[in-house]
Amino acid sequence: MKVLVTVKEVAEVGDDFAIEGTEIAESDLEYDLNEWDDYAIEAGVRLAEDGIADEVVALTIGPERSEETIRMALAKGADRAVRVWDDAIADSFLDVDTKVDLLEAVVDEEEPDLVLTGVQAADDAFGATGVALAERIGFEHAAVVNDLELDADAGVANVRRELEGGVEELTEVDVPAVLTVQTGLNEPRYASLRGIRQAQRKEIATKDLADVGLSPDDVEGALTVTSMYEPESESDAEIIEGDADEAAGRLAEVLREKGVEA
Amino acid sequence: MDFDLTDEQKQLREEVRRFADNEIRPIASEHDREESYPYEVVEKAAEMGLIAPHVPVEYGGVGYSAIENAIIIEELFAVDPGIGLCISGAGFGAEAIMEFGTEEQKEEVLPAVTSGESLLGSAISEPQAGSDVTSIATRAEKDGDEWVLNGSKMWITNGTVGDYFVVLCETDPEIEDRYSGYSQILVEADRDGFEAEKITGKMGVRASDTAEVYLDDVRVPEENLVGQRGMGFLQLMQFFDETRTAIAAQGVGIAKGATERALEYAQEREQFDRPISDFQAIKHKLAEMRTNTEAARWLTYCSAWSVDADPDRATALASMAKEFASRIAVEAADEAVQIHGGAGYVDDHDVERLYRDAKITQIYEGTTEIQKNIIARELLGDGIGV
Ligand SMILES: Cc1cc2nc3c(=O)[nH]c(=O)nc-3n(C[C@H](O)[C@H](O)[C@H](O)COP(=O)(O)OP(=O)(O)OC[C@H]3O[C@@H](n4cnc5c(N)ncnc54)[C@H](O)[C@@H]3O)c2cc1C
Repeated sequence: MKVLVTVKEVAEVGDDFAIEGTEIAESDLEYDLNEWDDYAIEAGVRLAEDGIADEVVALTIGPERSEETIRMALAKGADRAVRVWDDAIADSFLDVDTKVDLLEAVVDEEEPDLVLTGVQAADDAFGATGVALAERIGFEHAAVVNDLELDADAGVANVRRELEGGVEELTEVDVPAVLTVQTGLNEPRYASLRGIRQAQRKEIATKDLADVGLSPDDVEGALTVTSMYEPESESDAEIIEGDADEAAGRLAEVLREKGVEA
Repeated sequence: MDFDLTDEQKQLREEVRRFADNEIRPIASEHDREESYPYEVVEKAAEMGLIAPHVPVEYGGVGYSAIENAIIIEELFAVDPGIGLCISGAGFGAEAIMEFGTEEQKEEVLPAVTSGESLLGSAISEPQAGSDVTSIATRAEKDGDEWVLNGSKMWITNGTVGDYFVVLCETDPEIEDRYSGYSQILVEADRDGFEAEKITGKMGVRASDTAEVYLDDVRVPEENLVGQRGMGFLQLMQFFDETRTAIAAQGVGIAKGATERALEYAQEREQFDRPISDFQAIKHKLAEMRTNTEAARWLTYCSAWSVDADPDRATALASMAKEFASRIAVEAADEAVQIHGGAGYVDDHDVERLYRDAKITQIYEGTTEIQKNIIARELLGDGIGV
């Protein structure tokens, strides 16, 4: 079985940042592996370690800088990686549909049995890419998966899905399938020192638009960012710290101040 | 000349930092206060391959050089020197076995250490023998096909938690040459007559286990001799360049950790209606801390580089790096407390702990004074004495 894991390098900001036009200043951004994807990688690598997957391929859409992030997936145990990028991609805002175009092209070439994605990306948080990809490539799918057992012989993934309101659903999904992975599915490992060493020699194949059979017009997204601003905070939240005793004391104090009487 | 780290080294640094932030930072204070050994995190570190990473791949290590070792140590010590020492010191003495041990010793000890199954220690110092290593009094005598050890060892890292110790002892007192007649012998902690007593009340690195070790007619098979009989002290000296570079990296880490915390606090704390980082006096402190850390780091990397690339220069460079980085660590921790004001004087801020931890780097693995003696000796070119 071949597993394809999509990973994204996401931009993170600290408390202080500047907005330049419709973007956050580049100097205020730090890049890291999307948290959800870390769990997806772990799931893929464990399938390989359990002898279920023969190959785990990491796939990203990102500029050269994102190789740092994808190399972390290789250090954790993915066998090789594919990175799709093109100047034309850099020039437009990538909406879900466009991402799916790009991912679909790689899926067609790689022919995986299982695609693992994160539930969402920490930066633009659409939470749609995995499911939209499944629809496009005609795979079964399960979203927000927080438990996974794969029966390779039967070709069935037994998954637990986290739904709204604390409801959980147990489902069987026939492979080939796309699963969008929720944090908490597993405990992602640290890349081992040996893994880091080996990752330097693993392949990261880069593909531009021509390589995946698309043209710059195809990545012209339907979405544009029209403005970027920091919302005003309307009230303050207090986070009560300390042990149960202290916390209870402080809580009582706040309630009393607000006029709650026993 | 190129001052950039390789992609692999950068990735290594990033992942070790993530490990230290997530696994060590939350428990550092607790282990410091309780003087307790952090078994769990040492086990996790072993899983990641952080223990004795310089051991060759065939014995379970990663085969890392002194530079990668320095990067790892720096990141661990920046978060917590106590637990950092537990991790980076879990394989103390491994060099001797790697370089001089028999195939059997390597196969028995090295994979056990890198996997975190066993802890190793290096027992050199004694109550009467610190800076002057050649004054050790622990004796090993041959009795049939066994060595019989008698004596006591002082300040031994991992003393009560360790499974194996490379013990420096005198085997051939009749040899007149000052540096010969000593041997390194591998001693298992479960041998009859081996006893270790934990030393409590340390000022810093309190998570690390330090003990006095008593050897009372401890018998080990003759195969436990590491390397050549009578050559123990000279064998030991061969690793000073590496081990001192490692202590220099500890100093760099502490200086970096102190600077980071001071920088953060200075931007948060307001007095006279502005962050204290607006005051030139504070700015200059931060600038100096940062500059000194950078200087210490590159001297340490240079020393690490010379271990493999230019061994003739390594002795002086390692002593310079160790002396300078440990001094910078103590100074930076001092200034970090100063920048925290009263808040830095109590243990709810990390800088209080770093201030106590920093001092050890000027003492172990050859004191500051000894390093200066070595640097001067190399300068003046007179023999190997201290
Ligand atoms: C936490 C901790 C962990 C340790 N871990 C280990 C370990 O794992 N294994 C081990 O074998 N040892 C270990 N040590 C011991 C350490 O290496 C010694 O403490 C160190 O070598 C100094 O020896 P000493 O304490 O006897 O000081 P001394 O040698 O008595 O020195 C006292 C003072 O005299 C100065 N001095 C001595 N000789 C000279 C000279 N020739 N010129 C100028 N000044 C001089 C010293 O610099 C120092 O200032 C550890 C110590 C500590 C505190």
